[in-house]
Amino acid sequence: MTQTVTKEKTPETKPTPNKSGSFWTPWASVKLTVLLLTLIALTVLIGAWCPQESQGGIQKVIDQFGEETALLFSKIGITDIFHSSWFLSLIGFLTINMIACSVQRVFPKVRSLKQVMPYLRSEAICKLTASKKVILNVHPETALHRLAQKLKREGYTVRKDGTSLTAEFGKIGKLAPTVTHIGLLSLLLGVTITSWTGFTGFQPIPVGSFMDFESSEHSKLWIGKLPKWSVKAEKSWREDYPTGDVKQWYTDLAVVGPDGKVLKRQQISVNNPLTYENVDVYQSSWGLDRIVLSFNDTVRVLNLRPMGKLYAAFMPLDEKTILLFSVRDQVKPLRVFAKTDGWAGPKLLTEIPLGGTAKLGGVDLGYQKVFAITGLQYKCDPGLPITYVAFAFIIAGVMLAAIPHRQLWASAKNVDGNNPEEVCELSVGGHSMKAKRAFEKSLNQIVEGLGNPTHSVTEEKVNV
Amino acid sequence: MSDLQLTLTNTAGISTIVSFWVFVIANAFARRKDTMQKIGVIVTMIGFLTLTVAIVDRGIEAQRFPLANLYESLLWFAWATMGCFLLLEKTYGVKQLGWLASLVAATMFLYGSWLPSSQHQITPLVPALVSYWRQIHVPPLIVSYAMFFLSGTSGLLQLWQAGRLRSLACAVIALLLSSLAIGLGTYTPIDSYWLQILFVGGSLLGVGLAWWNLKSINMAIANEEKASLYDEVSYRAIMIGFPLLTIGIITGGLWANHAWGTYWSWDPKESMALVTWLSFAAYIHLRIHRECSAEKLSLVAVVGMLLTLLTYLGFNSLGFGGLHSYGKFK
Ligand code: HEM
Repeated sequence: MTQTVTKEKTPETKPTPNKSGSFWTPWASVKLTVLLLTLIALTVLIGAWCPQESQGGIQKVIDQFGEETALLFSKIGITDIFHSSWFLSLIGFLTINMIACSVQRVFPKVRSLKQVMPYLRSEAICKLTASKKVILNVHPETALHRLAQKLKREGYTVRKDGTSLTAEFGKIGKLAPTVTHIGLLSLLLGVTITSWTGFTGFQPIPVGSFMDFESSEHSKLWIGKLPKWSVKAEKSWREDYPTGDVKQWYTDLAVVGPDGKVLKRQQISVNNPLTYENVDVYQSSWGLDRIVLSFNDTVRVLNLRPMGKLYAAFMPLDEKTILLFSVRDQVKPLRVFAKTDGWAGPKLLTEIPLGGTAKLGGVDLGYQKVFAITGLQYKCDPGLPITYVAFAFIIAGVMLAAIPHRQLWASAKNVDGNNPEEVCELSVGGHSMKAKRAFEKSLNQIVEGLGNPTHSVTEEKVNV
Repeated sequence: MSDLQLTLTNTAGISTIVSFWVFVIANAFARRKDTMQKIGVIVTMIGFLTLTVAIVDRGIEAQRFPLANLYESLLWFAWATMGCFLLLEKTYGVKQLGWLASLVAATMFLYGSWLPSSQHQITPLVPALVSYWRQIHVPPLIVSYAMFFLSGTSGLLQLWQAGRLRSLACAVIALLLSSLAIGLGTYTPIDSYWLQILFVGGSLLGVGLAWWNLKSINMAIANEEKASLYDEVSYRAIMIGFPLLTIGIITGGLWANHAWGTYWSWDPKESMALVTWLSFAAYIHLRIHRECSAEKLSLVAVVGMLLTLLTYLGFNSLGFGGLHSYGKFK
């Protein structure tokens, strides 16, 4: 078995000449792509390593690196690296690079899908990067027929004409760069539309109050419009597992127009947002906000603070004594504690059901109401449909890129015309840019599976 | 964990160690090499099948998709490494990759078995993970990581066959130092700061020196034909891993959008997966460019493997925060 191996270095795919080539050609370089991808990767790596201000504020950076270093990082922009002009310029350059390259060399490649493989003669086949020649005791057409059957079983599309054959596998894979790049460009388009016209925000709103979108966040370059309508939290409550752990939060929302008219009502919960005029409102957190108590005939509203699984309000009575009110949810009774100097801890004085009263010293203490506060996250993402289509294209494109395109030619001819038995010489060869060695291996298997060759003429000649 | 579960997992773990030694020792016996390598492949197959049953059994026992904590994800990683090796072996007959694949899988088993026992127990899911998206998002990522590891290890074999022994040694040192950083970060209280320096410094130094030494060739062992075979295996592994990573990242975005209303939030682990994705995109374009030698591409594949390691295990153990952190085990 002889195997010759030659190193193949095809020059970089040359851009097709283009009238506007002079400006675009330097931008269409794949070298530039590799450089930009590497720089972007390094930038994102730094952004992954250094806490970002947009997520935990500068305090998180200070906690991690100390004040001096944190301020230095903030100054050079790595604490908000994804909004830095450096990062945005890199993305900008990549976009130009991708458009230039896609238009000049990627998209025109689609034309090659239409190309039909020409039939090759035996001599030409032997010059291909991988080829094999065998002598078989069958008629040339039978040999080709057998080969065609075998190739079809392996997934090849076969064309046959008398004693010549061409076969192709994975031609669809040639669409990979086009589909991927259309996807990537659409992704950039979708993200740009969202960044220029979309907005996001979070607001905790007590039940009974309104939320508008004035405090929303959007990019500096912004040409969008904020809704005129607002959202009112009518009611909000929590559902627990029997163990007491939170199962779900709910809020009844009303969309209210500028004239006060209710335009839509919906109950939302985590994973089940309200959508109105392209704005989604999500349930994202929940808590208790305040309690309304009565002391004899005086009504007082106390703000609650979260304390572990409970919420508590404090009311100093004098310099030493403090009353402590604790609620768990909107159903369970209010628990009233007192704490004073000299006591090891707070003492439970009484429990009052919602709507009930209890006597504390000479005072009638009434537990009138408890109000929830609901955390609403909202977003308007007008580019989302394009982004989603882009995702589909990118996934399809990179999957297509995994298919190795294979081309195969064969030619059979009658040799030794004096022999009463049929003797044919079959030449088979081809190539695969992405999987040369796998192609070679399968070529050998295909030829070996053709029956009993009397002998291999060139046992195996493979140029890789 | 049931006894059956434990027996199956241990059998799979032991089989990776056995297959490692069978593949290694095969190289010492020129005449029996083929037979021994075949035995190595069979042992790997047994390990792969046993682990498949172990994972399915864990899912039945837990009554949920068995991929929810670091230990379970390591089992999947070992499973994917064995499975992907068997796939590449079937296509290319690259049995020499066997000892490296077995070594990677065995290391993951050992890493997993040393985790605190709370990780081994089957526990209910935290609310954030209760979603059908979990089984769509995570498995492609794990399989892509396994593919990238096999691509990097094929790159190492390519360097060997191309006679680039010095570069190979430097690349191996880079891998050892970064793995050491992860090991120390997981099991010892050493400050993350030093570990980050060890990981990044070790990787930069090792790969830098490997690149620098590419010109030094040992002609006595260079075998261009085999080198080109490993180059292709490394490339194919990336071309299979890349779409899986793409699917993993995008479905993660879809899940996030479904749950929080935003598909991208620059969470550290998300960003790190993007870094890995961008580096492999760079690799693919370097190949299109066709001016890069196979040896340089092998080193790029090794860099990809280091980034995969950082994405997969580095973020927990080297003290990066974020939503996806499994936390430190100390
Ligand atoms: C994140 C960015 C990018 C990704 C993920 C990406 C992905 C891909 C993929 C998957 C392929 C198919 C490879 C194959 O079939 O083996 C490809 C091909 C290609 N890409 Fe990109 N690409 C990106 C950016 C760019 C940019 C900015 C350029 C501009 C120069 C570019 C130029 C090319 C070219 C010229 C091809 C090959 C076309 C061919 O010869 O078949 N890519 N790209």
